[in-house]
Amino acid sequence: MGERDLVIDCEALTRSFPAGVALDALTLDARPGEVLALLGPNGAGKTTTMRLLNGVLLPDSGRASVLGLDPWTQGEELRRRTGVLTENAGLDERFTALENLEFVGRLRGMTEQAARKRGMDLLERFDMGHRADVRVQGFSTGQRKRIALARALLHDPELLFLDEPTSGLDPAATRDVVDLIGSLAADHGRTVVLCTHFLGEAGKLASRMAVLFRGVLHAFGTPGDLAAELWSRFEVRLDLGAPAAPPLIAALTSLPHVHEAVATERGAIVFTSARDDVPSVVAACVRERSTVFGVDPRDPNLEDVYFALEAQAARSRSTPAPDLVGAFSAEVPS
Amino acid sequence: MTALDPVRDVAAPKQRTDWGAVRAIMRRDLAAVTRSKAVMLPMLLVPLLMLVLLPMSVALAANGSALDVTKILNMLPGRLAEPISLVPNNEQLIILVLGYLVAPLFLIVPLMVSAVLAGDAFAGEKERKTLESLLHLPIRDRDLYIGKLLVSFIPSVAVSWLGYLLFCVVANASAWPVMHRAFMPTRLWAVVILWIAPAVAAVGLGIMVRVSIRANNTQEAQQLGGAVVLPLVVLAVAQTTALMLSGIRLTFLAGCAIWVVAIWLNVRGARAFTRDRMAARL
Repeated sequence: MGERDLVIDCEALTRSFPAGVALDALTLDARPGEVLALLGPNGAGKTTTMRLLNGVLLPDSGRASVLGLDPWTQGEELRRRTGVLTENAGLDERFTALENLEFVGRLRGMTEQAARKRGMDLLERFDMGHRADVRVQGFSTGQRKRIALARALLHDPELLFLDEPTSGLDPAATRDVVDLIGSLAADHGRTVVLCTHFLGEAGKLASRMAVLFRGVLHAFGTPGDLAAELWSRFEVRLDLGAPAAPPLIAALTSLPHVHEAVATERGAIVFTSARDDVPSVVAACVRERSTVFGVDPRDPNLEDVYFALEAQAARSRSTPAPDLVGAFSAEVPS
Repeated sequence: MTALDPVRDVAAPKQRTDWGAVRAIMRRDLAAVTRSKAVMLPMLLVPLLMLVLLPMSVALAANGSALDVTKILNMLPGRLAEPISLVPNNEQLIILVLGYLVAPLFLIVPLMVSAVLAGDAFAGEKERKTLESLLHLPIRDRDLYIGKLLVSFIPSVAVSWLGYLLFCVVANASAWPVMHRAFMPTRLWAVVILWIAPAVAAVGLGIMVRVSIRANNTQEAQQLGGAVVLPLVVLAVAQTTALMLSGIRLTFLAGCAIWVVAIWLNVRGARAFTRDRMAARL
């Protein structure tokens, strides 16, 4: 995919605040119709990334193109085409749900009637139609979130930035929102940047993920790609009904691409190079006259990947850079 | 952008003000203000106290004829005391208080109203956590600033002018038994109301905008703003009485000076009011 086709294309984006560096040389991209998950703990730089890419914050350095526009010189034009759900719903409590949407519609250039109609349709869509004319004060977090989501979709944006879209929602509403986000991308070709703590939600929706820790991008790609980078071995669990006998372990270990085979209470764990090696492992068991009750090739899931990356990030933080060690030891008399 | 350069100084090309967006901001903020007791009460109570109760009590005191203003006049330099000395003795109290002394106090009204509204319009967005979603909307920084400025400035001037009309009615009616004529409005008051009051409102705005960008909520903004505004009020009250007694021309010139300060403050405020700066403080 050429750079021109990318919805988001940013390189070495850096922003610091008086408290420190919030984002350090972030490089990533997003394709049309893709759900890109920004993952990371609080303070990782997810919201800063979103604000930078929507032209709300200026970077210290770096470049970006979003929907073919420069976010920092063409911010207004860009924001006409993007929709944002902020982590805090940001609704004015002195107004009704519909009035909150109408105001945004007016600022987006819609007529009062058009904003009202579209707002009402969306409130109905999010099951909030019955509370359209009630002041937001006193609404639950979930209700506010749904109104804020309706506000983000008011002008049918090409690119959506969603910051924790399901936090505070009950399970049914969460499923509804997750389905909606999936449908926006898959059926309507909208690109979604999803900032979230919820790995299950990201795993279900995102085609690629960017994992940030303390403003630094630690990994970017599909969960499968990231897993391949993290783990060179593929784990296969064999259920043989009893611990694998030493001859079977020896036979498995002798197979090409098998790195290790370990007997377990109900069979064995075999570490191969890739999923493609699973049939030869099963064939070896059959040759050795072992009864195979089950084969569980364990693809690492998003949680495995995320926590492995988090551990990697923690290790890299606790290990000083070599040149720094050198510089320090040069100053300390031995 | 092609180079990986710092972009903080990149300025958007100059564009015309989007009055549709400015109007949308103003309509929303005005509607919000009318629904907020915390904003409406001080906006109505202070003018009511100063523009209705004060003239009524002065007129009642003058009716009793027990108060002698000669001692006050003797304390003033002869030239300043002249406008009061020339009127009949029984009218002197009313002319001195309602014609001259109340006018500087009256300037507290536009100052206070603009400070309350600006605090709500700027720092209030942070307090209500509505600022971030506002910054993500397609409105230019300057249009947002103009909308917020006007929604604070226009009502503060309107309250001042309407309040003055009310003051005229109450003052003339209360003082009628002594004066036997309508003595308000005067040309001097016209200068104060039409020229100085809007300038004072603009000064209040200029200060509150700067303060509100730094403050986290309305209360903090008003406390910080009060610390700056109150000494100015004392100074203004002290100086304006003397200026008014010196005549219309000097009063007008004083208004010019206040306008210069107001414009300077607001131009600086507009420069400080950037999306990046506001978002960085969220």
